[in-house]
Amino acid sequence: MSFRAPSLSIALRGSLRLRLLLGTLVWIAASIMVAGWALGGLFRQHVAAQFHAELKTHLDQLAAHLVLEQDGRVSLSAAQSDPRFSKPYSGVYWQIDQVGQSGNNVFGLLRSRSLWDDVLEVPSDTPMNGEIHQHRVSGPGNTTLGMVERVVSLEDPPPGQAEARFRLIVAADERQMLEPVERFNGMLWLTLGLLGGGLALVAVIQVLIALVPLRRLHGALAAVRSGRTLNLEGRFPGEVQPLVEEFNTVLAQNAEVVERARTQAGNLAHALKTPLSVIANAANGKDSELAHLVTSQVEVARKQIDYHLSRSRAAASVRIPGVRTPVFPVLEGLVRVMKRIHADRNIELTILPSSEQVMFRGEEQDLQEMLGNLLDNACKWASGRVDISVSAEEPYLTIVIDDDGCGIAEAERLRVLDRGERVDELTPGSGLGLAIVNDVMRLYGGRLEFVDSQLGGLRVKLTLPMTD
Amino acid sequence: MRVLVVEDEPTIASQLTEALCAAGYAVDVVGNGVDAHFHGGDENQPFDAVVLDLGLPQMDGLTVLKKWRAAGRTMPVLILTARDNWHEKVAGIDAGADDYLTKPFHMEELLARLRALIRRAGGHASAELVCGDIILDTLHSRVTVGGQTLTLTSHEYRVLDYLMHHSDQVVSRSDLIEHIYAQDFDRDSNTVEVFIARLRKKLPEGVIETVRGLGYRLVFPASS
Repeated sequence: MSFRAPSLSIALRGSLRLRLLLGTLVWIAASIMVAGWALGGLFRQHVAAQFHAELKTHLDQLAAHLVLEQDGRVSLSAAQSDPRFSKPYSGVYWQIDQVGQSGNNVFGLLRSRSLWDDVLEVPSDTPMNGEIHQHRVSGPGNTTLGMVERVVSLEDPPPGQAEARFRLIVAADERQMLEPVERFNGMLWLTLGLLGGGLALVAVIQVLIALVPLRRLHGALAAVRSGRTLNLEGRFPGEVQPLVEEFNTVLAQNAEVVERARTQAGNLAHALKTPLSVIANAANGKDSELAHLVTSQVEVARKQIDYHLSRSRAAASVRIPGVRTPVFPVLEGLVRVMKRIHADRNIELTILPSSEQVMFRGEEQDLQEMLGNLLDNACKWASGRVDISVSAEEPYLTIVIDDDGCGIAEAERLRVLDRGERVDELTPGSGLGLAIVNDVMRLYGGRLEFVDSQLGGLRVKLTLPMTD
Repeated sequence: MRVLVVEDEPTIASQLTEALCAAGYAVDVVGNGVDAHFHGGDENQPFDAVVLDLGLPQMDGLTVLKKWRAAGRTMPVLILTARDNWHEKVAGIDAGADDYLTKPFHMEELLARLRALIRRAGGHASAELVCGDIILDTLHSRVTVGGQTLTLTSHEYRVLDYLMHHSDQVVSRSDLIEHIYAQDFDRDSNTVEVFIARLRKKLPEGVIETVRGLGYRLVFPASS
């Protein structure tokens, strides 16, 4: 048993349901045991009292019929009214003993016919006049009898004779009393058993129903984690609602902390860039070792700032749940920017029309960051044309950017995706653009592919999941 | 050509001024948004381009730009800022900017982009402005006549530069003054005539024509 106790306590600690159920079931079982024991005892007492009362009635009748003859013998003036006294071994008996002066008792002076030729062995106590004693004695045929006795003295004994005292005994088979008790007990335990079973069933159902809000809470939490909702939603019972509200407060606080950290990271990055500009410009055009060192290190610092800033932005935003961004307005805004900043290159940017309103699962800024860098690259490499097409096929959103530039050799394509890798050092740009796209795309669980374009250049295919 | 530099960081402002002056521009510098709004919005102060920082004291750069555009100011604006995400680039372009450059920047790139902006604003597609024999190379601030390099002072260059950017128009004297001097420069209207006279000596005869009461105009000499 000693090795079972810890496993039970672990199970109890592990399951609220088990705890509630076990408590209730133990209580139900205890109540039913006590009720059964108490009711059974009460009924037994009642039946026993009735049994003895009946015996006493017979005893009174016997006393009333007792007559002392002239010759000193005793007889009964009438037969006992209960016919069972006349039926041999019926289980109901009477007997009259004579109590002698000095203990020389005569047993079985008169007996009921039912006793046949048996004589009841009675403990030899001598009740005072009028006292009624109860005993249990063994009777004929190995039965146990319940018995009452009293002693009567007949007054006015015939002259010359001593006062005669007689002991009157009425006995009955205890089975007559026990049988209804057993029947009652059987019914009682059956009823109580049904009651207990019913209560246990109700307890189980109650515990299951009571714990339903916990399962709902679990569902709501899962929705928050997977990003379908921002908060725990729905009304919960009064006992759970404060917990839900506290949790929502924690979520809101968390989002605020993330937002603040992001803002601060952004502020730090922007604050650093101005002094970097000053240093870079001061070193610019000077032909000394120091100036070259400063120029190259400023470039390194700028790349690091850009990369980590965009990473922190993306990492912070990707799990802000429930956010959806329409794709086309973002593309249109970026195309306006491309037309301006690549105005000298006269590139024709076309967004191929689509009838659907396509949504991106995530933050607008992250989509802008990915598409901005991809479009910027396409415009840098294109000779005159960039086509953009968007398609949504559950569960993926696909954005394809084609250019008519010189493309990238297959062997180079993987290398280009690496952080900071530039294919052609002569093309302006930090080279971090694609690395940022790659990072953000991975945070969203997307895929980036480079293939040959029908336009002659590179086709960039960005695939992003549309559902959580 | 006159450029307004809006930049609150004094070191960067002075580096920009130095580089722009060296490239032949007249430069005005303001350090906050309210001044920028006032100067850039003043029709009597026609700027040929603006270099605009976004994070400005008193009034944000984007707000300044929107107010200029709402008031009908059309000069090309190049945003120069540390804010480098695409979200902000879209916001900048949509507010009316013509180009967007992020800090830290290469001065050469800034100059190249600014030149391109001014050129496009004047409807010129090439970095070289051509008037007959006269070729003005905006990239290297160099003027050649019939293949021979002219030596010009910076003010002479600015006058010729402005005239060549507006080669099909009559340019008034006050226009010239506004575009070759920074605001705080001690202006003497006579000096424009002095520069014109000096240019006339260096250029082929009859190239700069005086239109009485209106100003000056470049005359396309028949190619020799």
